Amino acid sequence: MHAHATTESTPGAVEQPSDHVSDHLGELLELIEHCAHLLPSQGPITTFVHHNTLHSLEENRFDEAVLRGKTVYGCQPYLSEQHYRDLLRSGRIRDTDLVAVLLEDLDDDAQRFIGLLGTRYHLRSAMLQYPLRSGEDAQLRWLIDETDALVRFPAEAPADVRRRMLADTRRWVMSAAVESSPREPVRGQEMMSDLLGQFGRRRIEHWSDADWESFTLHLLWRVCHQGVHGVPRFGPAPTPSIRHRDALLQSSGVDIDQVVNEVLIRFCAAFLDQGYAHWSLPQREQGFFKAFAALYGDSRPVDRWMRRLPSELARAEQEGFSPLESIADSLDALGVTPAEREEFISQTLLALRGWAGMIWQMETNAEWAVHPAPIGTLTEFLAVRLLLERSALEYSGSQFLGERVELRELRTVLRRRVPHTPRVSVEQRAFLVFQLARMRGWTPAELHSLTKSEWSQLVEEIEAFPSVERRRIYHLAYERRYRNQTLDAIAAHDRYHGPTVDRPSFQAVCCIDDREESFRRHMEEIDPRCQTYGAAGFYAVAMYYRGASDAHYRPLCPVIIKPRHYVREEAAYSLAASSRTRSQTRRMLGQVTHRWHLGSRTFLGGIVTALLGSLASIPMVTRILLPRLTAQVNRLLNSFLLPPPVTELMIARLEDPPGPEEAHLGYSQEEMAGVVERVLRETGMTANFSRLVIMIGHGSGSLNNPHESAYNCGACSGGRGGPNARAFAQMANMPKIREMLRERSLEIPDETVFVGAYHNTCDEDVVYFDLDRVPRGHRADFEAARQVIDRARERNAHERCRRFLSAELSMSPEEALQHVEARAEDLSEARPEYNHATNALCIVGRRERTRGLFLDRRAFVTSYDPTQDDEEATILARILSAAVPVCAGISLEYYFSCVDAVGYGCGSKLPHNVVSLLGVMEGAASDLRTGLSQQMIEIHEPLRILFIIETTPEKMMSIIGRNPTIERLVCNEWVQLATLDPHSAALQLFQHGRFEEYSPETTDLPHVASSGQWYRGRRDHLGFASIEADASPQSTAAQEAA
Amino acid sequence: MDYDSIFTTLGAIVVIAPSALLAVLGLGALLGRPISERWTARVTQASVVVGLLAAGAILVLMLLTGRRYVPIEVGNWVVIPEQHFHFHLKFVFDRLSVPFVVLSYVLVGTIGGFANRYLHRENGYGRFFLLYAMFLLGMVMASLGGTIETLFFGWELVGLSSALLVAYFQDRRSPVVNGQRVWSVYRVADAAFLIAAIAMHHVTGEGDFSRLMGSDPWPEGATTLPPEQALFIGLLLLVAAAGKSALIPFSGWLPRAMEGPTPSSAVFYGALSVHLGAFLLLRVSPLLENSLLLSAIVVVLGLASAAYGAMTSRVQSDVKSALAFASLTQVGIITAEIGLGLRYIALIHIIGHACLRTLQLLRAPSFLHDYHSLENAIGGRLRNEPSFWERWVGPDIRRRLYRMSIERGWLDAWLNEAVVRPFVRVFQWCDAAERRWTDLLSGTTSRESDAALPAAPAAEDQP
Repeated sequence: MHAHATTESTPGAVEQPSDHVSDHLGELLELIEHCAHLLPSQGPITTFVHHNTLHSLEENRFDEAVLRGKTVYGCQPYLSEQHYRDLLRSGRIRDTDLVAVLLEDLDDDAQRFIGLLGTRYHLRSAMLQYPLRSGEDAQLRWLIDETDALVRFPAEAPADVRRRMLADTRRWVMSAAVESSPREPVRGQEMMSDLLGQFGRRRIEHWSDADWESFTLHLLWRVCHQGVHGVPRFGPAPTPSIRHRDALLQSSGVDIDQVVNEVLIRFCAAFLDQGYAHWSLPQREQGFFKAFAALYGDSRPVDRWMRRLPSELARAEQEGFSPLESIADSLDALGVTPAEREEFISQTLLALRGWAGMIWQMETNAEWAVHPAPIGTLTEFLAVRLLLERSALEYSGSQFLGERVELRELRTVLRRRVPHTPRVSVEQRAFLVFQLARMRGWTPAELHSLTKSEWSQLVEEIEAFPSVERRRIYHLAYERRYRNQTLDAIAAHDRYHGPTVDRPSFQAVCCIDDREESFRRHMEEIDPRCQTYGAAGFYAVAMYYRGASDAHYRPLCPVIIKPRHYVREEAAYSLAASSRTRSQTRRMLGQVTHRWHLGSRTFLGGIVTALLGSLASIPMVTRILLPRLTAQVNRLLNSFLLPPPVTELMIARLEDPPGPEEAHLGYSQEEMAGVVERVLRETGMTANFSRLVIMIGHGSGSLNNPHESAYNCGACSGGRGGPNARAFAQMANMPKIREMLRERSLEIPDETVFVGAYHNTCDEDVVYFDLDRVPRGHRADFEAARQVIDRARERNAHERCRRFLSAELSMSPEEALQHVEARAEDLSEARPEYNHATNALCIVGRRERTRGLFLDRRAFVTSYDPTQDDEEATILARILSAAVPVCAGISLEYYFSCVDAVGYGCGSKLPHNVVSLLGVMEGAASDLRTGLSQQMIEIHEPLRILFIIETTPEKMMSIIGRNPTIERLVCNEWVQLATLDPHSAALQLFQHGRFEEYSPETTDLPHVASSGQWYRGRRDHLGFASIEADASPQSTAAQEAA
Repeated sequence: MDYDSIFTTLGAIVVIAPSALLAVLGLGALLGRPISERWTARVTQASVVVGLLAAGAILVLMLLTGRRYVPIEVGNWVVIPEQHFHFHLKFVFDRLSVPFVVLSYVLVGTIGGFANRYLHRENGYGRFFLLYAMFLLGMVMASLGGTIETLFFGWELVGLSSALLVAYFQDRRSPVVNGQRVWSVYRVADAAFLIAAIAMHHVTGEGDFSRLMGSDPWPEGATTLPPEQALFIGLLLLVAAAGKSALIPFSGWLPRAMEGPTPSSAVFYGALSVHLGAFLLLRVSPLLENSLLLSAIVVVLGLASAAYGAMTSRVQSDVKSALAFASLTQVGIITAEIGLGLRYIALIHIIGHACLRTLQLLRAPSFLHDYHSLENAIGGRLRNEPSFWERWVGPDIRRRLYRMSIERGWLDAWLNEAVVRPFVRVFQWCDAAERRWTDLLSGTTSRESDAALPAAPAAEDQP
């Protein structure tokens, strides 16, 4: 038996000469690494970086990539048709948008005539207009037999269509019934007379309208059914799935992935564990394969399907198989041909894609982790997986088939046992035509007169516009509507000629983050004399940072940058002693807590902790019922433990080169001047400095949120950007640096003072750094600015609260601030904040162009002054090289998690369970879930982000040509792009590889007195509005007075 | 107004409050008029607060008056004289039930407050609170049950709501499968319980605990049963308790029950349901006293479960499983304490453990946050120092222990092999026989379902 099997094995594998074996294995390795790119590329959850979920498919056009994603991952490419139709009904998508995108999509084919029934455009627009139902044959038969589908026209059918169809059928039937002309085709005659018999032919002249209606529909259904009968399949037949598991599942209903995954999940979690488990995996340092073999090699599993595993492992050890050789052996044993390998391996890896992806990330991208995975772990994982699958297949296969079948034959044998399904379903096709006929008014007589080839053409036309295509069109219309609204608003709000402030009261620089848009807008509304700027929130200070109470350095800069500089925060020199005591106390308390936590899970420690456990009820009850108060008490207690409030940054380097050692911490003066110059030039903040400039970094702190890191600053790789703002402010304040900048013709007046600050976007707290260093003469300026910011915090909280259903709309701004503070501290709050949800725009240009425009927290707003840039647009190219991939990554991650929250996203966060300190599972044993949770995306509109850049199309084209990443994202339509002319309100939209003039649909833009007036009482997405308050300082002042 | 009527009124409130809650939420769902989130929260809160206050008042009154046993008779609900059967509802307030009912109210109430925000905007919000009400009523009835029927009634409500809460995410596969698994284990436990109840009726003529344990208030009661009968009934009740408290060999369901939303998980292992088995043993503890063998078995089972839980918990790399097995450790120890006759200690242990574990489970989603705070406090990576075992046990034994722990003692596999498989085989045989008969009689293949695809095709897009 065995000998027979080897001779019959795959020809390619056997004929390989032995000296090519290593080549052969090399190819296999390449194949595995190639397939690994399809795995989710999310790293450990503690440094969550937003990225395009389908990054590996970016070489394709967006619409092709989402379809490929559907095949590879089985995930949805767009929202559901139902969802889009709801949007259509609510007016979010207008009919005109649908018409426009459909015409554009069809281009020349729109007017193509298809038989008797109108043009392709008519057909498709009918298919978009009405819900087309479909389903399994049995469902359709039920619909036909048990509902009133054949009794009444649906309510949405146009009345004149109904009337015409009834009249036409009546005429046709009456003439046929009376004449019985021999020219009528016999089959039609039979069909009709049979139906006439059912309805009572004799009484035909007394039939009521309802009888005729029912008769028409019955006749229509029969005509459709008969018409589509025998129309061949269009397009290729579905290929059978390549995995043995699928063949077994389809034939027997047994899913071996269930049992195989269960073992693998436990083992992967133990192998990758970063320090949660008390006992770590024995022999983990020897690698995945060896550790697995050591653990299970001499086991005697109770599960029947696993019983062959130990002997397989023993055999692998005897033969001295490397993991790769074991894979080759398994592929051979399973009868996978070389041609099938790629598909087979990628599908096998994708069967547990979260864990496989995490292994790949830990292997390639996490050298900083406590326990990174050694190179080759993914290969070893695959080897183990295939061994498990073989064991499970042998058992379940023979159980189902009743006899032992060689594994390499198993697929063939099982496929023969898959119950037969008809190649094309007559019911489904007939029902589609039937529904369309009802709506479009194709009468039974007309349809009946179609020849078979005309029927064939009709079915082909209908099937050429399947659900995914319809959804694509809906989606384009959905995006078009918002895009046009945005472009119209920007054009209409063109107020850049407005009065410029002679000298700003203060200037604030925030991150470009969409959550800071409203914060800036409120500052500007409260103090129309202030100016705000947007820059990537790491403020060019790319560093490894360690705070005074932090355990480790962590990078604070975009992921694409690898920092060279280390910066540490320390307690002020004079407070060093007190700081040491405090840190010792912290350490001691920390260790006690740690012991307590560990102890509570052990035998003896557990008894002690449990006997004292009733004390736990106090924090539990207060935490849940009074989160804000508890947090305040905690903070008060902590204030005796935290490092003294006065700290300093080790920012000026003493010795070259930069490094983590004491003397090498920080930046040289030259580097600092470079940092400051870069940010000021990029934002265009080169003249007219105010006396006070506040740099605001941001981050977010919340409880009950494994994804906490995702809420932090994206430009700081999921870290908190406060230290960057602080470092920047210190650099910009140094006289020496200013002198150096002056030499580079960037004059910062001596009286300008920079202050660093940190904005917590969750509880709206703003902390200022190094206030002791603010000169006395500037304290009044600072106090004034602080008051503005404090009010902006309240208003910002208020604007955010309109999105939280659990916050009353009638709240005052002060109450709103308290509300968001409580949210951040609430153990039971699943939505501490909405993060980047609803993001849809990225505006790069002077703030004057959009200042006072209500953007609804949906826009990344980057400051850039085209008038200060060179002909090459060097500055813009530098800004975009970071802004485009980062914003596109955020937008696309939201897009995919939103269109398929369970497939691409990580589902509801309610059952999430933190595992291995790396990620979350659902329940106690599931695949590692990547992407964003249901609670994060529930208010999101999945739109591809629209970049509006203040520059000329020529310059933009040259940047696209110079930067391959931008080119890929823009030309493959993963993002939308428009330019705003620096000297006029003209907009150019990038479509089909070139810029085209955009002509606004409307110039109307609502004018309101303040943001609050516009959003008050509204929960849903809001349109654009021009805010008057900003234009005239007096009116605001008057308002304030009132 | 005398004390008796005050006690009766308060006692009735304690039981009626959750019943009313279940009725309101249940009727809303039944009539197709689901109650809004806001009203659900209000009604729940009102019911819990009223029930808790009444229970607290009873506690205070009992302390003041020095009464230790307050029975409330509701009478026979079903009487079948020929069969000597009656369904007798009776609630008892004593030193065991009052702390337990107060604990139930406090924890369930807190979890209600938690879940109200946690499940906000969730599709199954109403369903969750319906099951929650059922669970609360079950807990109250089981704690206060003065007859074995009453206790069983509450016990069943708890079991049903627990299993349905495990399967809360009903559109995914694994919660449903695991919910079913929990349900099956509960059925075994319930069957044992039911047989015990019948046996008790048979032996004493009724299900009243006071008849069984004598009329002294808990924990002083003493049973009049002969040791053999005590052993028989006690063993059945032990099986019931083991199923409910996930003692060996039923421990496999414990991590599986993690599929539900965090608050319901917290109620399960952390707090209440998992202690219900121990509570049952406490309630019938005079039985144990009567049979040394029975006590010994209880102690051994408890210690074995505790050892198993402690080991298994050490290797878990996910937060919720580790906590689940840590709970099992403590429940095992509690069981052993009951077996040793340390009733008050067991009761204190239950209360302390329930509070602590609930807090830990509710904090589980914030685990990473807390972990980093700890790291920062300590100023470096947290180390799990090698414990006694790792220092003294050889690598080979350690590997075997590790394997046993990560495979969770193969307990589920053993149950499948020893119980499930024989069952399934018998029914498969019956099925095959029936098919042969029907085929023969109809002269052709008689099963339409055979033609159906075994696996429903993946939710295919509309064409």
